[in-house]
Amino acid sequence: MATDSTENRFNYFFGVINLAGVFCIVWVLWYILMNPNTVMKLYTPMYGFSLIVVFLSGLILLTKVLDYNSWFENQSKNKNVILRGLLWTFISFLLMGVINYLVFWGFIGKFGIAYFSPDSIVAGGGIGAEPFAARENASTAILYYFTAFLWIALFWDLGFGRWPWHNDGAGTRAWSKFFVVFFFTTLFYIFLFHSHICYLFYPAQSKAGVAPWWEALASTGSAFFSLGLVLCILAWIIFSDLLWEGQPWKKFEINGEGTFGKGFATFIATLTLGIILLFIFLQIFDSVWDEAFVGGQYTDGPDWRYIHAGEISGFFVLAAFILKNYFNNFPNLNRLWLRALIRTLLAIAIGMLLYWFYYSPLATFFLAKVEGFAQPGDTPLVWTLLFLSIIIIQNEFFNGWPLKKIKPGVEDNG
Amino acid sequence: MKRRTFLKSMAATGIAASMTGAGVLTREAEAAKKIDIGEIKDLKIDVLTETSWFNNDLFKKDIMDYGGAMTNQYIIPWKWDNAGGYSVLMTVTTLEGKKRKFLLDTGWNNEWMDYIYEMNNIPAMLKSGEIEFMVLSHWHLDHFWGIESTLKHKADIPFYAPKTYYPEDMALLKEKAHHMAKDKNTGEMMHICKNDVPHTGKLVLCDPKGEKGEGIYRMMPGVAIRNFDVPILLRVRGENVLYFNVKDKGIVTVTGCCHPGVLSLFSYARKNFKGYKPYGCYGGLHISLFETWDPKFDDIIKGVKAFKIQKLGCNHCTGWIWAEKAAAQGIPVVKGTDKYKTYKKYSTVAKTSNVFLTNGDTVTF
Repeated sequence: MATDSTENRFNYFFGVINLAGVFCIVWVLWYILMNPNTVMKLYTPMYGFSLIVVFLSGLILLTKVLDYNSWFENQSKNKNVILRGLLWTFISFLLMGVINYLVFWGFIGKFGIAYFSPDSIVAGGGIGAEPFAARENASTAILYYFTAFLWIALFWDLGFGRWPWHNDGAGTRAWSKFFVVFFFTTLFYIFLFHSHICYLFYPAQSKAGVAPWWEALASTGSAFFSLGLVLCILAWIIFSDLLWEGQPWKKFEINGEGTFGKGFATFIATLTLGIILLFIFLQIFDSVWDEAFVGGQYTDGPDWRYIHAGEISGFFVLAAFILKNYFNNFPNLNRLWLRALIRTLLAIAIGMLLYWFYYSPLATFFLAKVEGFAQPGDTPLVWTLLFLSIIIIQNEFFNGWPLKKIKPGVEDNG
Repeated sequence: MKRRTFLKSMAATGIAASMTGAGVLTREAEAAKKIDIGEIKDLKIDVLTETSWFNNDLFKKDIMDYGGAMTNQYIIPWKWDNAGGYSVLMTVTTLEGKKRKFLLDTGWNNEWMDYIYEMNNIPAMLKSGEIEFMVLSHWHLDHFWGIESTLKHKADIPFYAPKTYYPEDMALLKEKAHHMAKDKNTGEMMHICKNDVPHTGKLVLCDPKGEKGEGIYRMMPGVAIRNFDVPILLRVRGENVLYFNVKDKGIVTVTGCCHPGVLSLFSYARKNFKGYKPYGCYGGLHISLFETWDPKFDDIIKGVKAFKIQKLGCNHCTGWIWAEKAAAQGIPVVKGTDKYKTYKKYSTVAKTSNVFLTNGDTVTF
């Protein structure tokens, strides 16, 4: 994702226009898909939440894991950008359907782990095993799985890059990366989220999963702890990738390729920064809402504090994408550390603006949200990830069409 | 600059700046001085009705068919046969020994509420003024839409409600509204609620600032309302909670649904009330509304133990499975009786464990 920061590919005015356009597209999509008073009403919330996480994961799978550009380079370049964009958007949509309904609901949930399929949960019977709760629980499991996927896939792309398959062909590299990313995704999912899902049922599925091991540490058995932590880590992965141009991890590269050392350092450093960021958020929350306590609800709940840290990280990530994609990663000063610092501060400022928007009466108008914090069943992540998905689609599949101008002779890798 | 001061300033310029309405400063000002709400001798609670709906699955289906938990309650053509209501009669014995009565909430289905009120002699108590006032916990259908059943006996009853109402709510209270919702399958407009007896009495709209900026509304010595401005399911916002300070025992909370969280109520009392001592709670505790589980519910059991609540009376949206698990783990859950079985309808999730105080039960704090 890192680009040459001296490229000037987006007129700032067009950037604003484009951003406003994307905002409107997201608004319309929200109105059709998620608004509880309109058409599809998918924001139940977990069903809609999981679908959007799976959709975004499909985009990341295509662009960062399978590196679809290198597979289809010849075909893609010759195609009209609109047709190309529509085709890949359609493929992503199809991928979401295949992953969610066929792979998880229809295959893994039917023949392996019951909680991934609403039908299998209902078939298992017991308290609360009715279609709606079953769909919510299966969706929760799927969204947790793909949260782990987003972490591992984006970390791998930033940390290891093409290593250790950089000398192999695109096909070998893509599939090798695919299997490794899903292997580690599965491991981290088991470690960070599986227990929560096993304890979503009554009685708890204690033979399938241990009680949440983080309970004493986090003052909650909810995996919102893990979710918040992963999202805080992701914020640093995105910041260093987009805003810091891959630095300082690039210092570990050899001949422009990733190394084990680079991947290891990136993993440890972003994990550490993520923990620090989470800690800072928790301190701020304590200051605003007083200390959370075991069993507290709304803003008093430790579980909500964790997911809220993740939600704010989500706003920061969205802000970083906006800065990078619509404002040429402003500012493009000569000193890397200075421009990285200013971009980071700008991303935080834009992120806080988005935060203000989401918790203001404007969100009641645009998103049919009830004013206030910690509404059960509401998380800004759904809107944030939908916004992020549209930005990625426009920039990856449509090459920034219609307002982004590519300088002649400069490869657009943005 | 000290770390805490630094963090506070960050919060003030960052996160807190985006908060709406009653924000940080109000809260800090409230917490600056502990208040004395006085004392009562005891509190008797008559559970008039806690069965807001009789079949969980039907109620949930109505919600899901029309947009899920975030949808507007006024656009759902609710299944009328499944509607009941939530309402509580409270009798306070003052330190002087006087009995003073008031209502919390007024239910949903008028037919059900009329039946319940008659059974408990509520119409006579309303007409005679023995019931002094009504507190509305929040604007949810099952707590408010049965308002006509109360007003037809006393249209000028003093009424304490959350300030965070919608136009449809106020139309139902004051303007003889007949609300309809469209059945998405047939296109037919269905009756969902009505009130032909407008409220004519004193209306107090409660907010978190409280009366005189104290954060509470004093109803009588030892009894206070606190409004928590929290977002709630079905587009509703804000809940009024009742606090009682029972002499020699401690603080008792009484709630409609307890959306802010039962421990948050005690946390508020601990921070704000002089001589705070936890004692008991009664009401819907809004934990496992649809009899499902979540690891967070285990957190609440641990929290209730930590807060040393000595008497926990629960029903309505608490979830039978939560109450059973809590009782099994040593929480002092007040058991109900089988009296509810003598009513013409009762909940499909009621169990022989009687961990709910249900229709017809009483509890004294």
